[in-house]
Amino acid sequence: MDITIKDLEHSYSKGTPFERKALSNINLSIPSGTFQTIIGHTGSGKSTLIQHLNGLLKPTQGSIEIGDFKIQAGVKEKRLKALRKHVGIVFQYPEHQLFEETIEKDILFGPLNFGVPEDEAKKRAAKLIQQVGLDESYLSRSPFDLSGGQMRRVAIAGVLAMKPSILILDEPTAGLDPRGRREIMDLFYRLHQEEGLTTILVTHSMEDAARFSDDILIMEKGGIALQGKPETIFSNPHSLKKLSLDVPETVQFIHRLEERFNKNLPHSVFTLEAAVDAALSVLQKGEDS
Amino acid sequence: MQNIIIGQYVPGQSFIHKLDPRAKLLTAFLFVIIVFLANNWITYALFGAFTLLAIFVSKLPLRYIYNGLKPILLVIILTFLLHVFLTKEGPLLLDWGFLKVYEGGVEQGIFISLRLLFLIMITSLLTLTTTPIDITVGIETLLGPMKKIGLPVHEFALMMSIALRFIPTLLEETEKIMKAQSARGAQFSSGPMKERLKSIVPLLVPLFVSAFKRAEDLAMAMEARGYRGGEGRTSIRLLKWSGKDTTLFVILLLLCVSLLLLRS
Ligand SMILES: Nc1ncnc2c1ncn2[C@@H]1O[C@H](COP(=O)(O)OP(=O)(O)OP(=O)(O)O)[C@@H](O)[C@H]1O
Ligand SMILES: [Mg+2]
Repeated sequence: MDITIKDLEHSYSKGTPFERKALSNINLSIPSGTFQTIIGHTGSGKSTLIQHLNGLLKPTQGSIEIGDFKIQAGVKEKRLKALRKHVGIVFQYPEHQLFEETIEKDILFGPLNFGVPEDEAKKRAAKLIQQVGLDESYLSRSPFDLSGGQMRRVAIAGVLAMKPSILILDEPTAGLDPRGRREIMDLFYRLHQEEGLTTILVTHSMEDAARFSDDILIMEKGGIALQGKPETIFSNPHSLKKLSLDVPETVQFIHRLEERFNKNLPHSVFTLEAAVDAALSVLQKGEDS
Repeated sequence: MQNIIIGQYVPGQSFIHKLDPRAKLLTAFLFVIIVFLANNWITYALFGAFTLLAIFVSKLPLRYIYNGLKPILLVIILTFLLHVFLTKEGPLLLDWGFLKVYEGGVEQGIFISLRLLFLIMITSLLTLTTTPIDITVGIETLLGPMKKIGLPVHEFALMMSIALRFIPTLLEETEKIMKAQSARGAQFSSGPMKERLKSIVPLLVPLFVSAFKRAEDLAMAMEARGYRGGEGRTSIRLLKWSGKDTTLFVILLLLCVSLLLLRS
C-alpha cells in the first residue's frame, strides 16, 4: 500500500488557549515496500506525524492516503479499524501497553481483535516470542514479572503478531542495551525484506538510519527540513550540521580518511565492515606507491 | 478528553489571576452558600451579572469556557426537565394527557439549572485562574488554625497538591494507552457498546500499573530529598493580601446586602 500525504497540518488542542501547531506543510509519498526513516530533534513532530498514518490523530488540514483509505481533515473515516489492521505501530516505550495475565494472551490481543482465528494467532505468538529473543516457556508467564527490555520485546511481538503490511516503529530501541538494539533492528530489517513490508522507522540513531533506509526524512519544528537517499543526505555534512545533526560514525571516519590522505572516497559507507574495507584500500594503495 | 476544563489552569495576568488564592477560595465558598439565597428573577439576574462580570474580568476566552461546559450541559438539561415535569405548581401551561407542565415547574427548572450553572462557572473560574499549588497553599493557610485541634492539615494539603499535580499526567497517560490499544484493534470511541466495554480492561490495567509505579517513584524521591512531614516546614510561597482582595470582599458584601433586600 502506497502512502501519500498532502499538505498535512496538525494542531493539538485546537480552539483552546493551549492550541499548539505540531505539524505544517507536510508533503510526502512513501511507495509500498520502502524502508523510510524519520529523523529529527525531540519535539520536531515525528510521533505526531506517524500517528496520522492509522487515524489515531486526525489532520487539522490536508489529507493522507494509504492504499485506498483516505483520511481527510473534517471528514469522518468509518473504516478506521480496517485500516489499523494493515498499519501496525510500535509506540515509544510500548511496554506500557501490556495488560494481560500471560504474555501469550497479550500477544494474541491484536490478532484476535482483527479477527484472526485463535489457533493461527497462537502459532504466530509461539513463533514471534522466539524471534524477539525469548523462549517459548515465557508464553505462560506474566508480562509484569519481566525486565524492561524483555517487556519491550513482548510488546513488539504483540504488534508483529497482527501481520501488518505497514510497520511503524517509533524509537523501538530507545533504552535497550547495544546488543538488544542490534538484535531488534536486525529482526525488523529481516521482516521488512522477507515479508515485503513498508517500514517507517523513527530514530535518533544515524547509524540505523544509514544502514537500513531507502529514504531518509529529516524533520524540524513540525516541517520537513531535508529528504533523500542516505548517500545524498550523509554526503553533505554541512547541511546536517546546520540542523545540529551528525553524520554516522562510519561516514565521519571516511571524511577523516579523506582529509588525512587527501583522497576522494565513496561516501555511502554505512557498516563497520565497509568502513574497514575502505580504510584498507587506502592503506594498501599507500603502500603500493 | 482535551475538552475537560475542570482542574485546568490557564495562565494570565487579569485582575482575577492576581487575586490572593485565599480570597478566591473564600469567595467561591461563600458563593456556594449565598447562591441558595436567590429565589426570584431579580436575585438570579444579580448572580448572573456577578458570574458574567467575573468571567469577563478574567479575560478567559468565552469559547473555551463554553466548550468546557458542554459535557456538564447534559446534567443541567436533565435537571431542568425533571423539574419541569415533576413540579406541580401555578397555572397549567401544557397538557399532553400523561404529561402536564405547570408554570411553577418551568420557573423552578430554570432557577435550579441557573443555580447549577453559576456554581460550576464560579468554581471553574477558581481553578482556571489559580495554579494548583496556589490553591493548595491557600487551603493550607486557611485551615492552618485547625492544626491546633489535631487535624492533619499539612498532610491533607500535600495529598491534594500531589493529586492535582498528577491529574494532567494521568489524562496524558490515558490518551497514550488508548492510542496504543486502538492501534491493536481496541475500540473506545466507536463501534458497538459491547466492544467498548471490553476495551476498559486493556486501558485500566496499564493505567493502574503506571500510577502505582509513579507513586512509588515519587515517595522514594521525596524520602531521598529528606522530606519528613509538616513539622517546622516553611513554604517558599508567601501569600500577600492586597487592596484587590479587599475590593473583592467589598463587592461580595454589596452582593449579599442587595440579595437580602431583593429576595422575596
Ligand atoms: N498530546 C499532546 N498535546 C499537546 N501537545 C503535544 C502532544 N503531543 C505532542 N505535543 C507537542 O507537539 C510537538 C511535537 O511532538 P512529538 O511528540 O510529535 O515530537 P517528537 O518528534 O516525536 O519528539 P521525541 O523525539 O521527543 O519523541 C511538541 O512540541 C509537543 O510539545
Ligand atoms: Mg516521539
